[in-house]
Amino acid sequence: MRLTTISGLQSEIFVPVTPRPVFTELKKPLSECKVAFITAGGIHKKSQTPFNTSGDFSYRTIEFDTPSSELMVTHGGFDNSDINKDVNAMFPIDRLHELVEEGFIGSLSKETYTFMGGGGNVEKFKNETGPEIARKLKEQGVDIVLCTGGCGTCHRSATIVTRCCEAEGMSCVVIAALPPIARQQGAPRITAPHVPIGSNAGEPNNIPMQTAIIKESLEWVKDCPSYNQTKVLPYEYRHNV
Amino acid sequence: MSITKETLQMHLKDPAIFCCRRQKGLVISEADLEDPALFEDMIEAGLLELSSDGLRIEQVLGSTLTANVEALTPITREVLDKVNDIDEKPEKPEETCIKEKERPTTKTGRGNNMIHIEIGKAKNLEQFSLDIPIAAFEHGDTIKCEEPCGGEIETKKKEAPKTKRVFNTLKKQHIRINEVEIGSETSIKDGRITIDSAITKRAVKEDPLCKSIELDVIYPDKRHVYTDTIMDVCPIATKVEGELGHGVTKVAEGVVFMLTGVDEDGVQIHEFGSSEGYLDEKMYFGHPGCADEKDIIIRCHVVIERLSGMTRPGPFAAHKCQDYIIQAIRDELKKYDGEVIREEICEDVRRPGNPRVVLVKEIMGQGAMHDNVICPTEPCGILGGQKNVDCGNVPIMLTPNQVRDGSIHALTCIGPATKEMTRHYIREPLVEGLAADEEMDLIGVIFVGSPQVNDEKLWVSERLGSLLESLDVDGCIITTEGFGNNHIDFIQHIEQAGKRGIPVVGVSFCAYQGQLVVGNKYATAMVEENMDKGGFENNIAGCSCVTKEVATRAIAMLKNKMSGVEILPAPKKWNNDVINANNKLLGLKETELVESGTLH
Repeated sequence: MRLTTISGLQSEIFVPVTPRPVFTELKKPLSECKVAFITAGGIHKKSQTPFNTSGDFSYRTIEFDTPSSELMVTHGGFDNSDINKDVNAMFPIDRLHELVEEGFIGSLSKETYTFMGGGGNVEKFKNETGPEIARKLKEQGVDIVLCTGGCGTCHRSATIVTRCCEAEGMSCVVIAALPPIARQQGAPRITAPHVPIGSNAGEPNNIPMQTAIIKESLEWVKDCPSYNQTKVLPYEYRHNV
Repeated sequence: MSITKETLQMHLKDPAIFCCRRQKGLVISEADLEDPALFEDMIEAGLLELSSDGLRIEQVLGSTLTANVEALTPITREVLDKVNDIDEKPEKPEETCIKEKERPTTKTGRGNNMIHIEIGKAKNLEQFSLDIPIAAFEHGDTIKCEEPCGGEIETKKKEAPKTKRVFNTLKKQHIRINEVEIGSETSIKDGRITIDSAITKRAVKEDPLCKSIELDVIYPDKRHVYTDTIMDVCPIATKVEGELGHGVTKVAEGVVFMLTGVDEDGVQIHEFGSSEGYLDEKMYFGHPGCADEKDIIIRCHVVIERLSGMTRPGPFAAHKCQDYIIQAIRDELKKYDGEVIREEICEDVRRPGNPRVVLVKEIMGQGAMHDNVICPTEPCGILGGQKNVDCGNVPIMLTPNQVRDGSIHALTCIGPATKEMTRHYIREPLVEGLAADEEMDLIGVIFVGSPQVNDEKLWVSERLGSLLESLDVDGCIITTEGFGNNHIDFIQHIEQAGKRGIPVVGVSFCAYQGQLVVGNKYATAMVEENMDKGGFENNIAGCSCVTKEVATRAIAMLKNKMSGVEILPAPKKWNNDVINANNKLLGLKETELVESGTLH
C-alpha cells in the first residue's frame, strides 16, 4: 500500500529539558533548623479569596499559628474529598507543630505562603512569585523548605518555587506524588511516598503516616548527596474515589 | 541521566560529560556520563557548555577522578589520574549531507516475513532502517518513502486481490428537529420536541445528591444569555435496531442538551476552570464537542448538594438526572417518523494489506469529574455503562463504530477548553479520519484512563504497551485531553509504543500553559490542539481539542513516520507558526487563535 507522505512537516510540541542544577547543602542539625512548609495544592484560609482554579500565580500568606480548622482548599486538578476531611493531607500544619514540640526540628517560620500551582504560568512563577516567596522565607531566617505539589502542573509550579528557595540558600525538598515531574522540572531533592494527588502529604487523619512522611523528608534534606535525587518512601495510601 | 553500555558504544567519540556531581576517587564508567544525544538540547537551554579541553568518552573510561566535579561539566585532563591513549589518527571529516546528485545507498531484503529497508546515508538521515511486514505489500502496491534529498524506495510485489472485510454496519439517521418547547407532555411531532415541564420533578429523584433541575430552551439567535459552567454537551440519539456499533441509530439533528450546574452554595461544578458567563462567548460553536452554529440548545441546569462538586458522586448525579430526561425524549424519537435529512453509513472494516493502526485515547480517570461512562445501553447515555475509574483505568478496546455510536458519555472534567465532551466522541475527527482513510487499516480505538497515582499511571501504561505489542500494530496515534499529571502517562504511552519500534504520534493541548511536564526521546511527532492566543486554558468550552485539522495533521505525521519520512524536531518554545506551516503543507485552513485575554 502506498502511503501518502509529505516532506517538511515539523513536530509541534517540545519536550522539556531538566534545568540547571541548584543545591544548598544543609549545615545544621535538624533540631536547630527553622522550617517552613509551602504548598502548590491550593490551600488557603477560609477568610481569604479562593484561587482561580484554571491558573493563578498569586499566593496567600498563612501564619503558622493558624488553626488547621480555618484552612480549606480551592483546587480543580483533583478530587478534594481527602483535604476536605483533613487539610494535613496536603498541608500538614498540625504535624509540624508536633515536630517542634518533640524537638525534631527547631522552630517554624512565623508565616508561610501557599499557592495553587495547577496550570501555573511558568514565567510568572519563575520570575515573580517564586523569587518573592523565597525572599520572604529567607528574611524570616528559614533553613529548610518542605513543599507539596498537588496536581501535575502543580508539581511543576511547586518545583519552580522550591528551586527559587534553594537558590536563596535554603535547603528544600519536594514531597512528590508525581516524582517524574519533580525530577524533570529540576527539584533539588525529592521524596516520593506512594500517595495519590490530593493527599500528597499522606492519608487524611492518619497521623503516624503524615508524621513519618515529614520526618523522612526532613532527613532526606540532611542526607541527600546531590541535586535532583529521589528517595522513595515506604508509605502507601490508595484513595478509593 | 546516566547511559547504558549500548548507548556508550554509539558515543565513544563524543564529549565526556558527567551526568551528576561526582566525587574525587570515582572510577569513571558509563553510569557516570550524560547521554550525548541530549547535548544539543542542553546547550540550547544554557545548561551545558562544551569546552575545547574536554575529553572524549573513550579517553576517560576507567580513569579515576582526582577532584570533585559538578554535573554537566566537561571532563578535562586536570581532574583525571590518566587519559586513555587512543589512536589519534585524523578522522575523515563526516559528511552531513550527500550531494544533490548522489542517491542514497539503499538495500532491501526479506526475512521473518518482514521487508527490511536500510538506507546507508542520506541527508539528515543516517543509518535509517525500516522493517515492514510483508503483509503490507500484498496487493502489488508501492510503498514510497520520500526523504529530503529526493531518495525514493519502491518495492513492488505480486498482484493479489484486495479484499475489504466489513464487520459491522451502522446506519445513523439524522432526523430534523426545528423547534423545541417546554410543555405539558413529552412528544415529538412535525419536527418539534415538546418536553413535559413536570419531568424535572421526576428526574430530580434519580439521585439524592441532586437538589433541583431546571430546563430551558436557547435558540441560536438568543445565545447572549448568562450560563453557569458548561458541564457537558450531549446529543439526543437512540438505538432503533441492534446494539451500539451496528444496526440503526436515530440522531436528533439541530438540537443538543447542555448540562450546567452549581452546588447549593452557588459554587460552579467545575474543576480546572469553569465556563460561566455569556453563552455566546463561552463555547466554541462548531467544534466537535460543542453545539453547532444552528443548534437549538436544551439547557438542563442542575443544583447538587453543597461541597459535593469536587467529589465523584456529585457531578455524576447531575449527569444521571439529565439522562433521565434525555431518555424520555429518546423514547419519543424511536417512534417518530420524521424527515431524515442525512443518512450516515459507518462501517467497521478491515483492509488487509494496509498498515494496521490503532487510535489510543487517554481519558481522565482521577475521580470526581475525571471519569467517563463506557458503553451505555443507549448512545451517549448513562445506564448500562461502566465507568473507566471502576474498571481500574485499564485499556479497553472499542470498534470505531462503537465510538461513532456514542459509546462514551464524558463526565467531563479538567479545563473547559481542553476537555472532550460527550458530543465529541460521537463525531471524533480522528476516528472519522482514520476509519475513512483507504491507505490505513484502523483496527480499533483503545480507551485508557489516567489514574491519579503515579505508580498506577505506569502500571496502566505497561498494560497498554503489552496490548499494542500483541495487536502487532504498525502505527498508532495517542491523544489525551487536558494537561498536567495526565501528561505523565501520555508520554509513558508514547514510550511504550516507541520502545517497541511502533511509529507513534502524540496529540495534546500543550502550548504555553500546558507545556509538557515530562518527556522522552520517542515524542518526536507531536500535534498541538491549542487555539488560544496566549496558549492558555481559556475557559471557552471545546476550544482547544481534536478538530478536523488536528486530526489531518496527526494522520499525515503518522504516515510520514511509518514511511520513514522525516518529521522536523519541534522548536524549544510553543509557536503557532509551526502549526500553520504544517497546515499549509497539508492544504488546511490556518489555525486562528482566539483572543481570550487569558493570562493566569
